[in-house]
Amino acid sequence: MFQLVLFNVTNGLIIGAFYVLMALGLSLILNLSNVINFAHGNFLALGGYMAFVLTPYIGFWGALLVSPLLTALFGFVIERLMIRRVYGRDPVYSLLLTFGLAFIMQDACRYIWGPNGLPMNVPDLLAQPLTADLFFITWYRIFMVAIVIVAVAGLFAFLRYTRVGIRIRAGTLDLDTVNALGVNVGMLRSLNFAVGSLLAGLAGVLAAGQIGLNPNMGDDLLMPSFIAIIVGGVGSLTGTLLGGLLIGVAAALTTVVWPAASEAVIYVIMLVVLVVRPRGLLGEEGMLT
Amino acid sequence: MSVTTADAVRPLPGRRWLTAAIVWALLLSVPAWLPMLGGYTALAARVLVLGLAAMSFNLLLGFTGVMSFGHAAYFGLGAYGAGLTLKYLAASTPLAMLMGVLLGGVAGTLFGLLIVRRRGVYFAMVTVAFGQIAFYIAYSWNDLTGGYDGLRGFTRAPLDLGFATIDIANNDIAFYYFLLAVFAVATGLQGLLLASPFGRTLLAIRENERRARFLGIPIERHIWMSFSISCAFTALAGALYALLNNFADPMGLHYTLSGEIVIMAVMGGMRAFWGPLVGATLFVVAQDYISSITVNWMSFVGLIFVLVVLFFPRGLLGMLQGRGGR
Amino acid sequence: MTMLDVRNVSKHFGRLAAVSEISMQVAPGELRAIIGPNGAGKTTFFNMISGFFAPTTGDIVFDGVTVTKLPVAARVAMGMARTFQITEIFPELTVRENIRIGVESSLGLRQRFWLRARDLAVVRRGIDEAVTQAGLTSKADRLVGELSHGDQRAAEIATALTLKPRLLLLDEPTAGMGEHETYAVANLIRRLHKNSAYTIVLIEHDMRVVFNLADKITVLAEGRMLAEGTPAEIAENPAVQEAYLGKAE
Repeated sequence: MFQLVLFNVTNGLIIGAFYVLMALGLSLILNLSNVINFAHGNFLALGGYMAFVLTPYIGFWGALLVSPLLTALFGFVIERLMIRRVYGRDPVYSLLLTFGLAFIMQDACRYIWGPNGLPMNVPDLLAQPLTADLFFITWYRIFMVAIVIVAVAGLFAFLRYTRVGIRIRAGTLDLDTVNALGVNVGMLRSLNFAVGSLLAGLAGVLAAGQIGLNPNMGDDLLMPSFIAIIVGGVGSLTGTLLGGLLIGVAAALTTVVWPAASEAVIYVIMLVVLVVRPRGLLGEEGMLT
Repeated sequence: MSVTTADAVRPLPGRRWLTAAIVWALLLSVPAWLPMLGGYTALAARVLVLGLAAMSFNLLLGFTGVMSFGHAAYFGLGAYGAGLTLKYLAASTPLAMLMGVLLGGVAGTLFGLLIVRRRGVYFAMVTVAFGQIAFYIAYSWNDLTGGYDGLRGFTRAPLDLGFATIDIANNDIAFYYFLLAVFAVATGLQGLLLASPFGRTLLAIRENERRARFLGIPIERHIWMSFSISCAFTALAGALYALLNNFADPMGLHYTLSGEIVIMAVMGGMRAFWGPLVGATLFVVAQDYISSITVNWMSFVGLIFVLVVLFFPRGLLGMLQGRGGR
Repeated sequence: MTMLDVRNVSKHFGRLAAVSEISMQVAPGELRAIIGPNGAGKTTFFNMISGFFAPTTGDIVFDGVTVTKLPVAARVAMGMARTFQITEIFPELTVRENIRIGVESSLGLRQRFWLRARDLAVVRRGIDEAVTQAGLTSKADRLVGELSHGDQRAAEIATALTLKPRLLLLDEPTAGMGEHETYAVANLIRRLHKNSAYTIVLIEHDMRVVFNLADKITVLAEGRMLAEGTPAEIAENPAVQEAYLGKAE
């Protein structure tokens, strides 16, 4: 029983870590550019597939570094070519655009790498279990959680201490003023989109090592990421972080007592938050309307 | 919202009647001309049903200015409501439709209460997440809904009028005209709704929420009513969809379908009454054709989304009338 | 008797005190102008009266009823109407339709799904009246978004008038207008005040408009009340001259 609980809690943490990476990227883009990126799960898949392609040449560790950067570059280009053309228009257009993009990217992955799952090998060192007793916890799982912690800490440090990061935060609060101060808002939004994509790409590499690759690998993460944002409160990255962890752990703990309801609990949490605290855990009142 | 120059000319009343006349003439004569073009009546039936869904959705997007991205939920609930009624309750087509509308309409009404204070992309995000709840329930509740495989084992019942029976169960053309009759009643009601003071109040909210509020209009209540009505009509379309296919499946609740409903409304012209029907026609025919010639149809459908957004944001009727979204 | 009684209201945004302890009484039929340099708190003050947000402290009494915390819709129902610094209209609807929405809202018909012939006649009469009052008869069937700035403003005021307001709040009605348009809008306001005896409170930057129209003027500076009086008194007031007129002119 203890092992079962531990197994599910670790699982919950890992799933929560993926929710957090996905949701933080989505949340960054949503807060600054008012765009919901429906293709975010496909950016994740792209990151995974690129790691798959790169690993034979530069190894897993190289791919872990390069693939997210390439995903970020891809996001940057997509933002420059398409997304920026719908800023300031009715929100319906940005939704439809990223929605269409998701279709195209998913189909492209299927076309290039085939519809079936592909395995992704991780270094032997990471594939080992921790101990014989804790056979279900591989070093890879620990490694994933550690990387996510480093990435999240890095993101918050970036937003706090770098010039671009500070501008992104300021732009989230009041884009007009940032614009009036002479900041190139267009470039800021592109960079911000790239950072969001980078997180998705990183999540993709990590996920590929755990569950392998398939064209829909990001789809199951998209909706929980939305819910993490809603639960945490729109406009607050810390809220998104909390929301992601909360629903991840809640889903895992539910698995212990009632496996069938593990996904339902996520939705229940969302509904409870909508009823009890409509602006979310840490959301700003003004962000609602 | 500030004042923008409206580069728009509204259609003259005469032209509006002309549009309606053309639409109805085409719809009524479908069984006569569609086979000659290589189409089949079931395709036209699909267009009618999805067109009704898109028009119902557009009460919100086009005429209230509120962006829901989860309308598949109400469409799907309508389908399951109808399917479950036929399978477990009674072999009555009208009862099935009624139950479908009730299920979707009530769900929309209750959920609407939770979200009416939200706007823009946040409204869209919450509606899509809620839509997935319905998807999840249909997907997981195997015993009742058939889970992933969908709900089977029901067929639409012949229509018993008392003095005569219309065999919509086996006669495709009879069923098409039955759909068309329901479609006519539903869109007629929508037309009356939009021409009423209530409809004008919705337009006011779309055009300028702040002004509307300072004219004493309780915005939230009206958005809620509009949302509920839109959901109920969408559920009716869903019920018809279940009757059309004798089948209801979880994909009919998935947000992918929500996105398709939105693109139909936009590509046809969301500010035009018939726009979503035109969009549904273009989309359904294109999807049917593309999926028959390539396995990579998803790319092409995605491409339709991107091209419409970037190059034809006003939609077909919007461009013809010089009116549309910006 | 007072139509509007503002008692000691303050509004704080975080640590910033936008408005501090301002009181003001407006009599029925009065035209009151509120002036002050930028950042004086005029719009914040206005927003509290119209119900955009509630004051941090203090009370607002409208026609004997405390409305401090009432939502906008309730104040509108009691007879308060306002216009905005940046004209707020329904740009893709015609002048008639803009006004019609106001008429139907004020008659309580806004939730109806159909109109009886009797109601329709009342609505039509209301629209015609407001169109004439605003001097927009010749442009009644054009989209408001296509009209000139001044005509859009007139349409906005006409729409507000359909509410049969007992108090009309105008936020910088001539903002951003040329000589000619300013004159036309000022004339419209004068007609409403003199001929129709509306009670009006307006914020205005154009001093010719203010001193020509107002019965009384309230001067704000840095969130506080600086002076209050007739145009003649205000023109003579040394504090006003120093704090406001001296710098502005």
